[in-house]
Amino acid sequence: MKIYIHGAGMLSAAGSSDATGFPFLPPQQETDSLLCKEPDYSPWIAPMQLRRMSKAVRMGIGAAKICLQSSGKENADALSVGTALGCLHDTEVFLSKMIDQDEQMLTPTAFIQSTHNTVAGQIALITQCHGQNLTYVHRGHSFEHAMINASLFLNEHAGQSVLVGGIEELTATSLSVMQTAKVYRHEKTLPERVLAAPDKGSLAGEGASFFYVSGQPAERSVAIHNIFTFTTRDTEEAVSLVKNFIAGSELTIEDIDFVLTGRSGDLRTEGFYDRLEHELFKDTSTGSFKQFCGAYPVDASFGLGILYRSMMDGLPESLKVKHKPTQLKKVMLINNFLHHYACWYLSVT
Amino acid sequence: MNKVYGVNTGVITAIGADTEACLRALKAGSTGIGKADFLKTHWQEELPVGEVKYSNEQLAALTGMNAGYPRTALLSAVSAMEACQPFAGKTAGLKTGFISANTVGGMDLTEGLYREIKEQHDPKVVGEIIHHECGAITELVAQHLGIHGFVSTISTACSSSANSIMMGAQMIRSGMLDVVLAGGADCLSRFTLNGFNTLMILDRQPCQPFDDERRGLNLGEGAGYLVLMNERAAKQCGAEPLCIVSGYANANDAYHQTASSPEGVGNKLAMEQAIQTAGLSPADIDYINLHGTGTANNDSSEGKAIAAIFGDAVPLASSTKGYTGHTLGGCGGVEAVFCALALRDGVVFPNLRWQKQMQDLNWKPVTELLTGRNLRHVLSNSFGFGGNCSSLVFSKA
Repeated sequence: MKIYIHGAGMLSAAGSSDATGFPFLPPQQETDSLLCKEPDYSPWIAPMQLRRMSKAVRMGIGAAKICLQSSGKENADALSVGTALGCLHDTEVFLSKMIDQDEQMLTPTAFIQSTHNTVAGQIALITQCHGQNLTYVHRGHSFEHAMINASLFLNEHAGQSVLVGGIEELTATSLSVMQTAKVYRHEKTLPERVLAAPDKGSLAGEGASFFYVSGQPAERSVAIHNIFTFTTRDTEEAVSLVKNFIAGSELTIEDIDFVLTGRSGDLRTEGFYDRLEHELFKDTSTGSFKQFCGAYPVDASFGLGILYRSMMDGLPESLKVKHKPTQLKKVMLINNFLHHYACWYLSVT
Repeated sequence: MNKVYGVNTGVITAIGADTEACLRALKAGSTGIGKADFLKTHWQEELPVGEVKYSNEQLAALTGMNAGYPRTALLSAVSAMEACQPFAGKTAGLKTGFISANTVGGMDLTEGLYREIKEQHDPKVVGEIIHHECGAITELVAQHLGIHGFVSTISTACSSSANSIMMGAQMIRSGMLDVVLAGGADCLSRFTLNGFNTLMILDRQPCQPFDDERRGLNLGEGAGYLVLMNERAAKQCGAEPLCIVSGYANANDAYHQTASSPEGVGNKLAMEQAIQTAGLSPADIDYINLHGTGTANNDSSEGKAIAAIFGDAVPLASSTKGYTGHTLGGCGGVEAVFCALALRDGVVFPNLRWQKQMQDLNWKPVTELLTGRNLRHVLSNSFGFGGNCSSLVFSKA
């Protein structure tokens, strides 16, 4: 079922959006982790509450609030959130204390805030949203599944709206674990160079992005026609599944004005994106986004935000493209995090 | 819209390693709550739990899985295999999915490795820990069972696996999928035991849900799955419907991160909307499988929400947490299986250890086994942290 985006809120290493747009501030320093440039939360969260909130929770609330503002709404009828790793910081706080104190003299705060659904629960509390509230935790597909869930909900609840988001926080432990596992690279890189200098692993990132979606188009909205998620470790299979997706969406390559890809400078998927850019979309306008936000399991949410804003306001200057698009009417997002891939087909209404 | 049939079940809890074993214990009123043998904790002697009496090696042997996998994956695989087994090789050409749920992921192993992870970066340890995220548990099981197609994981605390059944039903109703294995799993871990202990809601004795003098909950572990199919898939697989998933709803209490609102706002919304999506009215519900954890807060809020919906005509109701303990992300799936059995066999399982009428309620749970009942529609409740409230309605096939 077709659903429509009416507003977005994004928090990233390249800055946060506001009610009117996304003032792109690409990160400039050499780093091994693109941490979120957090906004001033004081308009939305009381100082006492803010002190107790982990980064994941406050980023989620911030992005949700910016999203509502940009959509001109106070709240939505339902919430659907994707976060692969959830509230890592509070999980680690409780876990370390439990181990260090041999299971004694523990306090509940960190435990309470450690569950994966804390972010969605807190947004419900702050916006007094009594509607459906779900949290998807399926690795690199968490955000896509949250969006698919929103479309299932809207299919059965005509006229209602859903706030759909992706959140991931990076902690010192998760960074070092994923660096050791070669998910992320150890070496400090200049973010704008990350795509030009492929290496084992991508540049670590984090962030939160939310979208206000409904089943009805508006004068200025972006339609999500189709989302397809798949897992594979085989480049050939990945490329052929992308082709199937395009055919299944009743599109030809010529129909597509622009493709935003999840190229991340990770050697494991360079071959896949090369095939897309040099063969399948040889003559199509393409660009990539992970040099702005880093790689994280729900980074597609940031990519979707960039596309949404671009379809509203035009492509940002700092987004380098191959072939300048003549228009941005029909676009695709093709992304991966590790072996989890997703294709999105969007159009402007 | 397509009808959603529940055609088979798989379950493992402290009272049995498969559906029939659990059913025997439920009918016999035998509890699974007791001292932990496998969970090694400071609280071993003090906090009873609903532990599955199989070691990881034994669970691995039951499934052919790697014994080094997180226990949640092993438990999940046991009941997922039980549920899917009759349909092996029969689903060709059908769109299949696996929607699971859990809250602890591989925490049972993470908590043993955490110090090592912090202090040194042994690639071997790290290689293991990447299987500890919630979604990885589902993938391990999907891989082991050879399930392709749509695979997802939900984590909404104690209501998690009720939500995977809801999503599975929606995907069948809308025609996106033909067959879905839906439910969830969670294992005991020191992390969750200590977490609930700091909240001071764990009972030092076997729990007494819906009793006026209830002291709290016992944690449990387990997994529960339903195989859901549309009519075409059921025909192709030669599957006999056990029940129909006729209604579902998910609402939020929006009151507090861990506590339920005193009047059970979210609980009431979830139950009312689930009954409504089933096209029923409250009077049509013949049995409620209560969330009934045994905490002062849950049972009071849930009880009041039920009284508000059903008035003087509260249906037969019981909590099965007294048998299994609270299996967290697994309980929605486990109790969905129990509801399917109640419908199939016309039985209502007694609420164990109930003694004293709750002062703030006008109704009481069923305390004796009832058999030979014509149950048409049953309601299953799952409520959790984050204000998450889910209710499912199962109807006679």
